[in-house]
Amino acid sequence: MLRILAVGAEGGGSGGLLHGIRQWVGEGGVEIEAAPDLPRAVRQLGTGRWHVVVAVLGEHADDDLAWWVDTLRGATAAPRLIAVAHGPSMGLVLRAEKLGVLDVLPLPVRREDFLRALRRARPITEAAVTLPVVEPHAVGEYALVGQSPAMLDVYRLVARVAPSTATVLVQGESGTGKEVVARAIHINGPVSSGAFVAVNCAAIPENLLESELFGHEKGAFTGAVMRKIGRFEQAVGGTLFLDEIADMSLALQAKILRAVQEREIERVGGTDTIPVDVRLIAATNRDLKEAIKQGRFREDLYYRLAVVLIRLPRLGERGEDLLLLTAYFVRQFAERYGKQIHSISDRALELLRNHAWVGNVRELRNVIERAVIVATDDVLRAEHLPEEFRGEEATLPDRPEGALLTLAEVEARHITRVLTQTNGQIGAAAEILGIHRNTLTRKMKEYGL
Amino acid sequence: MTPPLPPVRVEKALALLPDVEALGPLRALLVSISRPDERALWSSSGPYLTLGKRGVQPEELRRRMPQAFHVITEHLQTLYRAYVEALECQQRGDGAGAVAALVRAGRGEERVGRLSQARAWYDVALRVSQALQDRRPEVESLRSLGELFLRLGQYAEGARHFQRALAIAEAEFDQPGAIAACEGLGDAALAQSQWTGAQAWYARGLRLATAGGDQRQIGRLERDLGVLARHQGDSTVAGEHLRKARECFESVDAAEEMAGLLNTQGQLEAQLGRPQAASGAYREALAWLQRAPRDAGLEVSIRLNLAELHLEAGRFLDGEEEMRRAEQVAIAGNLTGRLVQIYTLMGKLRGRQLDETGFVFFEQAIELSRMLEPSPTTEAQVYVEYGLFRERLGQREEARAYLERARELYGSVGDAADRRRVEAELEKMTA
Repeated sequence: MLRILAVGAEGGGSGGLLHGIRQWVGEGGVEIEAAPDLPRAVRQLGTGRWHVVVAVLGEHADDDLAWWVDTLRGATAAPRLIAVAHGPSMGLVLRAEKLGVLDVLPLPVRREDFLRALRRARPITEAAVTLPVVEPHAVGEYALVGQSPAMLDVYRLVARVAPSTATVLVQGESGTGKEVVARAIHINGPVSSGAFVAVNCAAIPENLLESELFGHEKGAFTGAVMRKIGRFEQAVGGTLFLDEIADMSLALQAKILRAVQEREIERVGGTDTIPVDVRLIAATNRDLKEAIKQGRFREDLYYRLAVVLIRLPRLGERGEDLLLLTAYFVRQFAERYGKQIHSISDRALELLRNHAWVGNVRELRNVIERAVIVATDDVLRAEHLPEEFRGEEATLPDRPEGALLTLAEVEARHITRVLTQTNGQIGAAAEILGIHRNTLTRKMKEYGL
Repeated sequence: MTPPLPPVRVEKALALLPDVEALGPLRALLVSISRPDERALWSSSGPYLTLGKRGVQPEELRRRMPQAFHVITEHLQTLYRAYVEALECQQRGDGAGAVAALVRAGRGEERVGRLSQARAWYDVALRVSQALQDRRPEVESLRSLGELFLRLGQYAEGARHFQRALAIAEAEFDQPGAIAACEGLGDAALAQSQWTGAQAWYARGLRLATAGGDQRQIGRLERDLGVLARHQGDSTVAGEHLRKARECFESVDAAEEMAGLLNTQGQLEAQLGRPQAASGAYREALAWLQRAPRDAGLEVSIRLNLAELHLEAGRFLDGEEEMRRAEQVAIAGNLTGRLVQIYTLMGKLRGRQLDETGFVFFEQAIELSRMLEPSPTTEAQVYVEYGLFRERLGQREEARAYLERARELYGSVGDAADRRRVEAELEKMTA
C-alpha cells in the first residue's frame, strides 16, 4: 500500500489538486490523506509511515522546499517529496533535483506529470548482491580494509616502517585513513605499549595549540589556572600523531622542529627543559612541497618529518575496495543499531560506485551509517542513501522494471541534468546539448522546466 | 595566472578588528558571509569546525560592504527619525508621543544587540515621562527598562522596574501595562528560581488578562505558568497550562506564539521521557515558525532542543546534523549568543563520545560570549558544561575549576537554583 499525504492541496489555490490526485491514482493500492497546512501535516507525519508527500509550496517556494526536505529527512521512513508550485523557477527545479525531490510540478498539475513523478516513488523489485564477509586487519574503531593493489603497497610500506622508530609523514586526501595508518604503525611498532596521542592541529585554535602541544605552567597566561601537561609529554614512551600539520603557523613550526631535533620541550611560561622521547608521525592532506614554495611551510621541518613518506590512495583509485569497505561499515553499523542487513541492491551499489567521494572513506562511512539507520529490512537500497545520491539517481540508466520512460521524458530529464551541471546557464547548456539556445528555451518551456 | 589566495580564517579576521562600536555591523557582515573551507569539510578537523575556523574572502567583504553601509544608514535613520519625532511631539506638547518615539528608538537598538545604547534611550524616555500628567508612558518606559535588565541578566534590577510599573499601572487603571508588569515580575522571579513569587505574579497577570479577554495575552500567561510548572517538576499542571495556552493561540492563529509554545511542549515531553512526542512537538513548532515572520532566534532554540533530544537518545549523527543546521541559521542571522549555546552543546556531544578535542567548542563558546554584552548566566552555562566535559574525561582538577567559576557567576546574579545544581556537581566530585 502506497501512502500519500497531500498538503495544502484542498483549497482553490491548488486548482483542486487533491480531487485530481484521488481521481488519477484510483483506489487500488494507494491511500491518500490530506493536511490543510504545515503544522497539521507534521502531526500527521508523526502518526505513521508515509511514502510520498505532495506539498503545495507557498509564496516563498525556495524556503518551503528547503523546509520540506529537512522535515522529511527526520520523518519515519523518510517519505519522498513531490513539490507543487505556481510557476516554479528554473533555480527551484535545479535545487529540487539536487536535493532528491521526486519532481517539481507547476500548477495546474497535469495528470501525466503527476503519475510520472509517482512512478518514481513506487518501490520496485531490485536485484541485490550479498555483502562479502570482511576479515579486516582490525585497528581500533576503524580498520584497514582493502585488497586493491594501491592499498597492498601501503600495507607493505607500513610493515617495513613500523618496526623502526623512524618519523613518518602520511600524505593523502581527506578521509583516506591517515590516522588509521598511523595507529597501525604505532600498534605494530616498538612503542606499542606506550600511548598513542593524536592532535588535530587544524581543529585547535591557533592561540591554544602551543599550550596544547607543549603544556603550560600555572599562571602562564590568563586562564592558565593550573599546570597543564602537553601532548608531547603525554606521548612519552609512545607515539605522537600530529594530524593536519600544514595548518600550523610558522612560529609553531619552528618550535616543533626544535622538539623533533632536540627531543626536548619547554612548557609555555616554563623555564625547565623536559626531555620527550616520542615516536612522531605526522599527516597532511596538503601538498607540503607546494606550501614550502609559497613560504607557508618550513622546508627543514618537512625533511625532518618525511623520513618515510606514505601516500594514501583516493577511494576512487581503490576499485573493488569500495564493496569491501561498504560491507565492513554495514556490518559495523548494523551491529551498533541492531539491524540485520546482508545485501545491497544493484542500484544502490551502482550509485555508490558512481559517486565522486570527495571525502573518501570517511564520507563512505558516513553515508553507510546514515543508510543503515534508515534501512527497514535486510537489503540496503538506493532510497536509503542521502538526498544528494537520489539526485544522482537521475543520471543512472532507467529502472529495470515498472517505469519505462517516454522519449520526451528522457529528453526533459537530460536537459535538466545538463542545466544542473551548467548551474542553469542556458547558453552553456545549449552548447553541450548541441542545439540552439532558442530551441533549448522552447523545450524548457514545453517540459515545464 | 596567479591562483587565488586562500580565505582568511574568521579567528584571524576578528583578531584584526578593533573592538570599536562603529565596526559592529562590519563584524556582523564578516561573520554572516564566512564559509567553511570546502577542503576542511571531510578532513579530520571537519567535525570540529567552529566559526573561528571558517574562512572569509576580503574581496567578498569589500563587495558586500554596501550591505553593511545600508544596515548602518537604516539604523541611524530609525534613530534620527525617532529623535526628530520626539522633538516635534515635545514642540506641540505631546509628551506621550515623545516617550513613544524614544522607546521605539530603544527597541531599535535592542534589535541590533546594542543594549547599553537602548538603555540610554529608555532612560531619557523615563525622565520625560515622569514629568507628564498621564502616567501610562512612564509605565511603558519602566517596562522597557525592566525587560532590558532581564536580558542583561540583572534580574533584581529588572524586578524593581516592573514593580514600579505595576504600582503606577494599577493606580492609572492601565490594564495592559499592569499585565505586562506582572509577566515581567514573574519572569524575573523565575530566572532567580523564586517559584512561589513567579507563580503569584503570573497568576495575578492571568486574572487581569482573563478579565480583559485578550486571547493572546491569556495564552502567554498560561504558557508562562506552564514553563514555571515544568521547572518545578509538576508535569501534569504544566501540561494543563500549555494545553490552555494552545487553545488561546490557535483561536487567534498566532503562529509565532504557537511555535514558542510547542517548543516548551517539546521540552516538557522530553522531561517526561517521551522522546517521540517531544520530537513531534519540535517539528510542529518548526512548521508553525514557517508560517510566522522569520525568527531565527526561536528557530535555533527549537533546533537545539531537537539536537539535545537526539543526544540523549545516543543518536549522535542526527544530533550533530541538527546542531550544524542551527549553526547555519545563527551565523546567517548573526546571533552570537545562540552560537555560544550551539558550541556548548557540540562540546557536550563530544564529551559523550569521550573525544578530548571537543574542548575546542567550549573555548570557542567562551570566546564568543566575551564578544557579547556581559551575560553572567550565558557564561556560567558554558563553564558548567565545560566542567562536566572535563570530568567525563577524568580531568578532575580542571573540571572543578570550571564548575567553581560557574558557581561564582550564578551567585553574582542571584540564580540560586542553578548555583545549587553546580554545588551538587562539585559535591559529587569530592565524594
